[in-house]
Amino acid sequence: MGKVINVIEQIDSIAVKHPDWIAYDYLGTKNTYGELKAYSDSLASYILTQGLEEDAPIMVYGAQTFDMIATFLGVVKSGHAYVPIDRHSPAERLTMINEIANPGMCIAVEDLPVNLGDLPVLEGQELNDAFNANKNVTPNSFVTKDDNYYIIFTSGTTGKPKGVQISHNNLLSFVNWEIGNLGLPERPVTLSQPPYSFDLSVMDLYPTLVMGGTIKAVPKQVTDDFKKLFEILPTLGLNVWVSTPSFMDICLLQPTFDAEHLPALSRFLFCGEELTHATAQALKLRFPDAKIFNTYGPTEATVAVSAIEITDEVLKQYDRLPIGYLKEDTLGFILDDNGRMANAGAEGELVLSGPSVSKGYLNNPEKTDEAFFEYEGQRAYKTGDLVKIDDTGMLYYHGRTDFQIKLHGYRIELEEVNHYLNNDPLIQAGVAVPKYGKDQKVAQLVAYVVPEKNEFDSQIQLTVAIKDSLKDNMMEYAVPNRFVFVESLPQTANGKIDIKSVIAEVNA
Amino acid sequence: MNTKETVLNILADLTGSDVSNSMDENLFETGLLDSMGTVQLLLQLQTELGIMAPVSEFERSEWDTPNKIIAKVEAMQ
Repeated sequence: MGKVINVIEQIDSIAVKHPDWIAYDYLGTKNTYGELKAYSDSLASYILTQGLEEDAPIMVYGAQTFDMIATFLGVVKSGHAYVPIDRHSPAERLTMINEIANPGMCIAVEDLPVNLGDLPVLEGQELNDAFNANKNVTPNSFVTKDDNYYIIFTSGTTGKPKGVQISHNNLLSFVNWEIGNLGLPERPVTLSQPPYSFDLSVMDLYPTLVMGGTIKAVPKQVTDDFKKLFEILPTLGLNVWVSTPSFMDICLLQPTFDAEHLPALSRFLFCGEELTHATAQALKLRFPDAKIFNTYGPTEATVAVSAIEITDEVLKQYDRLPIGYLKEDTLGFILDDNGRMANAGAEGELVLSGPSVSKGYLNNPEKTDEAFFEYEGQRAYKTGDLVKIDDTGMLYYHGRTDFQIKLHGYRIELEEVNHYLNNDPLIQAGVAVPKYGKDQKVAQLVAYVVPEKNEFDSQIQLTVAIKDSLKDNMMEYAVPNRFVFVESLPQTANGKIDIKSVIAEVNA
Repeated sequence: MNTKETVLNILADLTGSDVSNSMDENLFETGLLDSMGTVQLLLQLQTELGIMAPVSEFERSEWDTPNKIIAKVEAMQ
């Protein structure tokens, strides 16, 4: 297929030509491209009557459902950007995003867990009526070029999340790269596993829709229930798999997860965290003829910017898998101490520049200026990832320059976790550190905590109470897995908590 | 080390808590185990005890306390 020029119009053109093609399949409930266009047109037309400020984004709260993606499309057709918030987010996060994003309205596909004050909320029957109003819109109102298309909030260091603004141009650069370089089949049938608030979901959603394919949603209540998961997986007819490597590790536990039982499955795309040699090797044995891609990229440069196909040769050649070659339109380099581009073979912080690099964090000029700058007329982003680039342009990932970690694909700032630990009423002082597995990946987040005086009978009860209270404010994946209760935390000479010695102790 | 001790050791390592005094505590409801923790538990049982627990027959309700996990493992040995 040729290059996409406009994501929204491309999806619409499929709806016009093939209104009966299935766009979305939620555990057997199917919706067509025709419905996708009708719902999103009508919703866009409703939004256009609401008199929102032109660049006000719209919060969209919900799960992996057809109504959710119809809402995304409706929002961008009205010229606004959507802020996807997963239904498993704590109420406090919604409140905080509402404060930072200054949205024009919220569309609640699922019931909101919190009152958002004066913010207009479209939900329930009213939302249904808006979907079914049979209204039309013209492309004149659509999000285009440098307009924001979506804004995804990541964790910040002080408990204040940062909203990464992704424009239509950013998204277009990513979508064209994926459909042109990752060998997707015609009309892909794609697994949708990550929630829409995690930008890995963009890797399954838009490339599939612009190609007229079908999204197969496998929501959290299924992935958490292994019995159900393995009942459902073989029935989906998937040919493209998109997930974190951690999710693949779950699937590989099942002996019948192989080419014999899932014969159509021919493409595997991984992103979000390091793909280990062991996982790739095991998968290759199960699906010898499938193409497996390891991809890499920060949310700030739109999902992924580099890829490599993991072949038998690659597995033979490398013990730690490289993260591949950059997409054509993107430049990646390392700046030396004098701000000059370092030569091939150097190791340092990867800087990315090109059309998929975000304009910055929404309403946060300070954090934007820390990480983004202009480089030779292009937007550039300092990733914080330590890499080596060899003379063929191959990238090798070597870790982080800061205290950001990836746990099962989720991006976590340790400073943010520490912020919440130290603000918790049950905790006097605390610090969270990663415990690494054999494969160099973070296996667990461990908190060392000096508890406040308490009346709990056991450490388990105290752990449970702390976890419960943290969950009110933090994403569940960022709540430490283990708590170690201590009388004091080690300190450095100048009186700060000595994180390095705690890391050493946890990994001893 | 007997089966019970091995399982308790694995659980202590995964949850960070000594669960030997809480043998009927629901590990999922208390948030001590989640789905990735379960995966690690199954992998550890495989490595340390040679137990192949078929993940497709994994019912959370049958594995949600230390006592139930030990009973399951003993039945599979």
